[in-house]
Amino acid sequence: MSDVLRARGLVKRYRRGRAVDGVDLTVRQGERVALLGPNGAGKTTTLLMCLGVVEPDAGTVEIAGHRLPKGRSAAMSNVGFAAGYLPLPERLRVGEYLRMFGQLYGLADPDGQARRGLERFGIARLAKAMGTELSSGQKTLIGIVKATLHDPELLVLDEPTASLDPDVALRVRTGLADLCQERGTAMLVTSHNMVEVERIAERVVFLSDGRVVADGPPGEVAARFGRDDLEEVFLHLAAGRQAPEHAEGARP
Amino acid sequence: MSSGHALRVPAGRARWLRIWAVARRHAYVLRRSPHRLFDVTVWPIVDTVLFGSLGVYFARQGGPSGPAQAGAAYLLSGIVLWHVVYQAQIAVSTGFMEETWTRNLLGLMVTPLKELELVVGIAAFGLVKLVMGVGVVALAAVALYAFDVTALGLGLLPVMAVLLLGGWAIALVVVGLMLRYGNGAEALAWGIMFVVMPLGGVFYPVEALPAVARPLSELLPTTHAFAAGRALVDGGPMPWGELGLAAAGTLVGTLAALVFLARMLRLFRRRGYVTRYS
Repeated sequence: MSDVLRARGLVKRYRRGRAVDGVDLTVRQGERVALLGPNGAGKTTTLLMCLGVVEPDAGTVEIAGHRLPKGRSAAMSNVGFAAGYLPLPERLRVGEYLRMFGQLYGLADPDGQARRGLERFGIARLAKAMGTELSSGQKTLIGIVKATLHDPELLVLDEPTASLDPDVALRVRTGLADLCQERGTAMLVTSHNMVEVERIAERVVFLSDGRVVADGPPGEVAARFGRDDLEEVFLHLAAGRQAPEHAEGARP
Repeated sequence: MSSGHALRVPAGRARWLRIWAVARRHAYVLRRSPHRLFDVTVWPIVDTVLFGSLGVYFARQGGPSGPAQAGAAYLLSGIVLWHVVYQAQIAVSTGFMEETWTRNLLGLMVTPLKELELVVGIAAFGLVKLVMGVGVVALAAVALYAFDVTALGLGLLPVMAVLLLGGWAIALVVVGLMLRYGNGAEALAWGIMFVVMPLGGVFYPVEALPAVARPLSELLPTTHAFAAGRALVDGGPMPWGELGLAAAGTLVGTLAALVFLARMLRLFRRRGYVTRYS
């Protein structure tokens, strides 16, 4: 299997210290990988560097054979991104929003892809709704439809189910799993929900203080730390951290 | 070209499709935000009434003499041309702000959309707003003061083109400052125009300014563009020297603005400022 994402030696320093300190991250074609770690571990900064939004101080990122930052535009045509914290732009209907992103991805039939995407997640009825009329769960679902609109090779999801109730979260997981299986889409996901991670991911990468401290299948990683499951590994790492020098998501 | 199963358009067309998508998104914003129409309807009328009435008042004070009457025409032609700069600048600045207000910037940055395509898309729809805004001023000038700006002839077009580019150049600087300093720099979008307006020779020649401000005014390309506009009001031939100075200055200014924007964008990525908008 070829690598869809290959990041090597990523380093990012902010004023309050190193947010990411020499991270290597590889996601292979069709692979489902979870990037985990306590708050401030460097997950979001790593994701944003992998997406070319934040420039690393050192290291390289390659997506679908395109080296960032020069090949960013070509690389992004192979990437879908959704985050639980990203709102839908106001003053757009869902269908208009999806068409806009479909056109940004260069789709020949953005409306058709949008319709199929909405049907995949069982929300075709929302096509004409205004973004402001949706619940937070519906917004998250629309964000995921947007991210999968162009059948990307790599799907990057930052806390995708943070605001979803268990029923909708299950629908999202099922929809994503089907998509990955049908299309061979690789997935890189961050989540604080370890139960969900164990269901979605076949490999987990644990970050702590900006470094990779574990990388492997969920069961193996838990066993390496002498724990029963990922939740316990997470708690162990969170408890072992010193006072954070930098808070993830805080302004650098 | 395509990954997975979704059919894509050819790369050459994809660029235009992305620009079209941005322009269309901003058309929806204007359609669904009536208050945004203020910039292209209410303010142009207010400006026309303000400067038109000033011109009429001073023309009456000065009697039927040629200079007094010309003053009113200077003010009215000045406000029409000023709105070319203003609308071009505000459309691009507020278009970018819209993406920050709706926290859409991160979403756009993880698509194939290139920075320049975003600016071109916003500016392209900005042209529609510009036509609306300048059209309202021109119509109000005719309706309220019997001043027909089209009577100045085709010479007006190159003057307007220079002012349009000038407005975009100012907008690029404003966007660069917003990338660097965040939404705190938003006030500059409007504030900077209040600096350019008196110094940029919109209504009067450089000689009318205090001596201390004249060198700065001479440096601004708009000063020469508006001087060319006034020459047309006087019924003279196009002063190509003034227009050439304005065009050259505007080109240099636009290149400098592009370099500034590129640097601010680099800083934006290096310092991770996108987290301000996500």
